[in-house]
Formats: sequence, structure tokens, C-alpha cells
Amino acid sequence: MDSIISPILMLVLSAVGAAGLCLALPRRGTTPQVVGAVVAGLALGLLVLALTLKNPAHAPNIYFYLFSAIALGSALRVITHPKPVYAALYFILTIIASAGLYLILAAEFVSFAVIIVYAGAILITYLFVIMLASQSPTEDQDRGEADYDITAREPIAASVVGFLLLAGLSSLAFRGASDLPKAAETVSGIKEHALFRPEGHRNAAILADMPRRVKEELVAKELMGPSDELALDANGDVQFDLDKGTVKVKAGGQEKIVPLPADFAPRNVEGVGFNLLAEHPGSIEIAGVILLMAMLGAVVLSRKQVEIDEELKLQQARKLAEITEGSAA
Amino acid sequence: MNALLVLAQSSTAPLHEATLAHYLFVAIAMFVIGVVGFLTRRNLIIMFLCTELMFLGAGIALIAFGRFWLDYTGQSFVIFVVTVAAAEAAMALALVVLLFRKRETLSADDWQELRG
Repeated sequence: MDSIISPILMLVLSAVGAAGLCLALPRRGTTPQVVGAVVAGLALGLLVLALTLKNPAHAPNIYFYLFSAIALGSALRVITHPKPVYAALYFILTIIASAGLYLILAAEFVSFAVIIVYAGAILITYLFVIMLASQSPTEDQDRGEADYDITAREPIAASVVGFLLLAGLSSLAFRGASDLPKAAETVSGIKEHALFRPEGHRNAAILADMPRRVKEELVAKELMGPSDELALDANGDVQFDLDKGTVKVKAGGQEKIVPLPADFAPRNVEGVGFNLLAEHPGSIEIAGVILLMAMLGAVVLSRKQVEIDEELKLQQARKLAEITEGSAA
Repeated sequence: MNALLVLAQSSTAPLHEATLAHYLFVAIAMFVIGVVGFLTRRNLIIMFLCTELMFLGAGIALIAFGRFWLDYTGQSFVIFVVTVAAAEAAMALALVVLLFRKRETLSADDWQELRG
């Protein structure tokens, strides 16, 4: 863990962050909320900076600092803002900043899916419900905010829990991270090519199923002519030679060996799609069932229950019976 | 354009574990903020918003690990997490609307008898 951050520094900064969070939580009367939020934000920021200063050579992209500052700052605001509508709007900001973090982790598809599903669908539902379920203000409320919105429950105990979780989880993660087999070592000795990396065989298997995509790429790089065809094996797969970095091509009835372009790899969407459908087909079915049940459950729960007394029901049943008999006759 | 180039380059090189630690810390901090919010806020809607915050933090950790191992399973898992979050939001908000219709309040304290 010492190679990532010194444990004492992490404990101190986590404690300061939790104390700031305790101050920042909403309470009745004038409280140093802004000071608390600034202290909490600074402590978390200093912790990230301490991580960077320990290993300056492996500092993440500059956009990491931008997106994580926005994400954590607006997450703090979500739990400290007294007005639910503003909390939901700050949550949208958190989602967009997290989508930025996903983007610099090379997860383009998930990044945009999260923006569409979370910010576009889930948060709009939240906003609808917040506006649907807002109370008319009464006299004992100040500034039109409900009493349960401006007083936090047990802020000190919750901050202690927050400190324990933050310190405990971070120390576990940092200890684990320094014990992981070095990613750089597992790659060294293998040629710097996307298809030759340890994950390369998986990537090659993905591309072998997509002869048209491979042909497009090779034609665009002018490694084969538009009238040439890839030589496919009995299963219809593209024939890569991963040891030499080549692919078999049929040009004018003759097979020839063509080198692969250096940056040839499946795109993010192709990789995620193959992973979803080839390795987790059962999970997709279960996800579909979960969504269906959630839809049914929401419809059943939120429909308006109309109370009709027994007398009225009998009357209506009789009327209905008369109508149906009349039409039958 | 320059930014896109930087992103494209970062997508093929392996991630160092010190870089991974940065992302993990942000994920943990977001999760903890969600937990503290869930414990302290009394508004039912904000409490569910805090669970979404925890989902988002877990998603950052999953994608960071997936990037570290250069494996797509982390991203697939985040897609399932988002699915479950959407289902949870629909059910939870339907419940909140139902509870609000019964008592005209969103305070979690007013429903203490549900503790059993």
C-alpha cells in the first residue's frame, strides 16, 4: 500500500473529509454548510493529489481530474441540497461527469448508454415524481422547504460510518492495487500489437467472425484490392496468423498472406456486443425479465384505486347484464 | 481533436496500478457519499437518488477494473447494473407515489411502522 499512498495521510484526509461532510449536511438554523462542503471537497481532492504525487509517472489523463472534481462536487451537492429538484439536477451533472470518466477509460458505448438511460430516462422519472409529490407549503416551514428536507438525520453518526467506509474500502483497494500482477509486465515480451496482447486472442476471435468488417479495414488501408476476397476457413471465419500478424487473402484465385495494420482491433461497441451476446446470453434474458416485471409492478402499484361500494357494483353488474341480454335478443 | 487523440491512445496501452488506484478512489468516494446521503436524508426520493449514486460509483470501479485487465466484461456488467437501476427506479418511484397519496408526506420518519 505504501507504493500507492502513505496510510496515515489517507486516514487523516478521510477523517477531514468526513468531518467536512458532517458540517455540510443540512441542519436547522445557520450552519457552516459552505465551509463544510469546501473542507470535504478539498480533503477528497488532496487525497487524489497525494495519489498522483506518489506516482507522478502514472498520473491519469488531465480530464480525469476535471471529471472527477465535477462528479464528486456535484455528488456532495446532491446529498446536501435542501431542495429535491436541485438535488436531482446536480445528480444529472454527476452522471455526465461519470460518463466522462467512462469515456477516458475507453468505454465509449457504456458512457453514452449511461447518459441516455440515467440522465434521459431515470432522472426524468425522478423529476416527474418530485413535482408530482410536492406538498403545498404550510406556515411552520421556512422558505417553502419541508422540515424533513432541511434537517439531516444523525449527521455525526453517519459521518463516522462514512469515514470508516471510506478509509476501510480505500485501504483495501490500494493494498489490492499494489498487489495486482503488473499490467505492464504481463504485456512485455509480446509485440506491441492489439492482437498480440494477452487479450489479443479474444480480440482476434471477435474479428474472425466479421469478415466484411476485416475486408473493409484492409481495403481502406490498401492492403488488399476491393475485388479480392478474404480466405475463409470451413466455419466461415477469417484466418489470422497471430504469431506472424498476418491474414490469408484470396486474390485472383490465389491465396496470399497480407500483414495486418498495426492498430487493428475491434471497436468498443463490437467488443462489448460480442461480450454481451457470446459470454452472457443468459444475463440478457434475465435483464429482460427484470425490466418486464418492473414495468408490470410499477403499473400495478401506481394505478389509482377507485373505491366503489358493493351496492353500486351490483347495480352496475345488473345494468351490464341487461345491456348484453338486450343485444343478444 | 487533440483530446480525442489522447483518448484514442489511452485506449490501447495497459493501465498502471497507480492510475487504477485514482479511479478506484473516485469510485469509493462516490459510493461513500451515496451511503452517507442514504443514512442522513429523510426525503424518500432523495434516499433513492443516493442509491443511484452508489450504483454510479460501483460502475466506475467496474469499468476501471475492466480497463485494467483489458476485458469487456466490466462494461457488460455496467450495462446490467444500469438495467437493474432503471427497474429499481420505476418500482421505487411507484411506491413513493403510492405512499405520498396515502399520507401527503415524503418523510421516511412518518413510515416508521413499516419497520415491523
